[in-house]
Amino acid sequence: MQDQKSSSSIFSFKNGPFGFFKQALVFFVPVLLIFALAELMILQIPFNYTITSDYFKNHHDEIEILALGPSQTNSAINPKYLSNPAISLASTAQHHGLDFNILKQTRDRLPNLKYVILELSYSHLELPHNSDNFWKNAVYLKYYNVNAFGRNTYFKDKLIYLSNPDIYSKKLIDHYFIGIKEPNYNKYGFNESDFEGSFKSLDYNETSISKIHNFRINTTTDIDLFTKNTQFLFEMLDYCKSEKLNVVVCTMPLYKTYLKKRNPDILRRRDSILQIISVKYDNLRLFNKETDTVNFSASDFINQNHLNPKGAEKFSKALNLLINREFNN
Amino acid sequence: MLFNSFDFGVFLIIVYLLYWSVGVSRRTAQNVILLIASYVFYGLWDWRFLSLIVASSLIDFSAAKAIFNSNNGHKRKLFLWISILFNLGVLIVFKYYNFFVDSFTELFSLPSSSEGFMIWDVIIPVGLSFYTFQTMSYTIDVYRKRIKATNNLVEFLCFVSFFPQLVAGPIERAGKLLPQFQKVRKFDVQNSKEGLRQILWGLFKKMLVADNVAVVVNAIYASPEDYGSLSLLYASALFFFQIYCDFSGYSDIAIGTAKLFGFRLSKNFNIPYLSRTVSEFWQRWHITLTKWFTDYVYGPLIKNSKRNYLIKTLALFVTMTLIGLWHGANWTFVAFGVFQAVTISIERIPIRYGNRQFSLITYLSKIPLSLTIIYSFTLIMTSCIFFRSDSIGTAIAIIKRILSFIPSENFSFVIGMKILIIPILIITEVSTRFKAYPLEGLEKKIARPLRWLLYYTIIFALIRYAGPKEQFIYFQF
Repeated sequence: MQDQKSSSSIFSFKNGPFGFFKQALVFFVPVLLIFALAELMILQIPFNYTITSDYFKNHHDEIEILALGPSQTNSAINPKYLSNPAISLASTAQHHGLDFNILKQTRDRLPNLKYVILELSYSHLELPHNSDNFWKNAVYLKYYNVNAFGRNTYFKDKLIYLSNPDIYSKKLIDHYFIGIKEPNYNKYGFNESDFEGSFKSLDYNETSISKIHNFRINTTTDIDLFTKNTQFLFEMLDYCKSEKLNVVVCTMPLYKTYLKKRNPDILRRRDSILQIISVKYDNLRLFNKETDTVNFSASDFINQNHLNPKGAEKFSKALNLLINREFNN
Repeated sequence: MLFNSFDFGVFLIIVYLLYWSVGVSRRTAQNVILLIASYVFYGLWDWRFLSLIVASSLIDFSAAKAIFNSNNGHKRKLFLWISILFNLGVLIVFKYYNFFVDSFTELFSLPSSSEGFMIWDVIIPVGLSFYTFQTMSYTIDVYRKRIKATNNLVEFLCFVSFFPQLVAGPIERAGKLLPQFQKVRKFDVQNSKEGLRQILWGLFKKMLVADNVAVVVNAIYASPEDYGSLSLLYASALFFFQIYCDFSGYSDIAIGTAKLFGFRLSKNFNIPYLSRTVSEFWQRWHITLTKWFTDYVYGPLIKNSKRNYLIKTLALFVTMTLIGLWHGANWTFVAFGVFQAVTISIERIPIRYGNRQFSLITYLSKIPLSLTIIYSFTLIMTSCIFFRSDSIGTAIAIIKRILSFIPSENFSFVIGMKILIIPILIITEVSTRFKAYPLEGLEKKIARPLRWLLYYTIIFALIRYAGPKEQFIYFQF
């Protein structure tokens, strides 16, 4: 009855398939407008990808060092402390599969590239690579022009808000409604104010920190994955060799409670690979700081396996020394 | 192309416009459009397996015609067996061969790989078990003279490959779906509205419930040894809702999509968590599969001994084991099926008291629903542990940990307030339990502005609170 009543309104449509289709279109117009608005608003927020992307566009001819890897690398390497022009395209949950995609697809745009920094954390080889549907693929495509989808891409693949509405809705609310200020990124896109975390909230008190047991650590072994990922790592290192690139494979500092919780089987297998690659590739150097509890204390960490900017400064300077010592002679 | 993807939305719009633009009088043209669309839809998963679905269709089409046109009993049987053996052969080769070889070599400690039996590096074609069962039932029904064999190849190919239900059902019978390709489909605006509403409800179940709940289940089941009893119990209960919303969500989207083209598909779920008994659960869960096995396996097995409990129980064990195996080539699925068989057979044990005979089912039907739901849900959840675990050993270890009351140091709701989606789902479904799905016939109750507001709210929730996109679980079967 109500539909009949409204037959003279703007919602009146013929009851055929195309009338119905038009009605559905009218229904979806507000949804599309909200999407478009959300996309526009999210693009206005300055965040690390936009800054890194701008730096990449403006300095790609000069860049000599490319750092890749997951959040541990992202938080440990501040390019500002490297004496050669550098960029870090490391970011959260970025596994070797994505690293290799980025490396291959930016290689042509980095004519002066000499060094690649890779990460081989304790359980990296026993964690699955990102899938072709990983939400951050949109970010790589939009900001770095790197296609990690494993297929041809189209308009929709570059939409940032749609790639992860959950995360970006929170970001929109934080930025526009709550008024949370964006972090203090430097010109390389490194967050120099990134101290917030469980360690800071405990005032870096080691006794309190030692009582945290529920942090995330992978202890599940997966031999098949290890074999597959190791093979992939070799392919990536072969590529670097063929491109005459020097490689530094890093292990990032870990806090002692994390070190204790590592699965010895996973650790043994990873260490054996570190040893093999250091012998097999003469263009590769290891920078193993995983167990460096002398130089890295609680006040250098955000949490058990991420350095804060203070720790990053130490790590980056030490890395710079290694690069200069091993390769620049 | 997942149903909950942007790509599918675009695909659906294109097919819809093409399909209706040719006009209702040109039924064959509409069928051809549906056939091409279905093959494109399937080919986008893996185009190599298109040949398999075409071969399967052609063999069953020809076999059924030969059966239908012959009066010779032996010849009819021969063609039936050709069809059945081809279909089962495809299933065995693609789905079960490695499992049988693995199990056989392990049982007799034989060498595998190059020294003995070869393990094939083969991908299971998506939806294989669904369309194989659909085509097989067609030939059997023709053999049983329940339906006539069709002479129209396009209609038959459409019946086998109809894209809304191709990769995960509902498993349709030729007697219901094939005639729909043979008659004119008139556009019905009300039916189309229902279709969109059912799609919306399916997306709600899949994206908001199943995908969010999957976060918890995946995390806990990835290392069950790290979790205590409460966490494991929580994850196992949530897995039931994950798999229910994942699969029934798919079914709703499939049924809704079919409605947009003027087709009616079978209902596949009927609020299974309201079951009083495990027997009833199978009348509410994956209904088209249960009916398939009842008609083509269980029924024939008990044909001449319907009153004999022992024979019926043996037939039940065979059927449920096969249902378990249908889900996947792993002993965990066999255990899942056997577990169900054990519980159903116990429920059916005939007990004599004086002149009266009853069973646990009759007893359970008389006690309060809330108590029987606890009974049936506990058993179903236990069987789900086998369903979800990587191995029987892991499943048993999880059950042991649950029963050992190990404290849950790591326990948290993991997904926080999103867990509220489960009670919302239950309240909505239970309060609208007499409808095919909760949003059915909404215009009779709510005015358009409020209705649209409700739709926008659901769409907003889908965008904002959807869990990480997961493949539909039943695609692998």
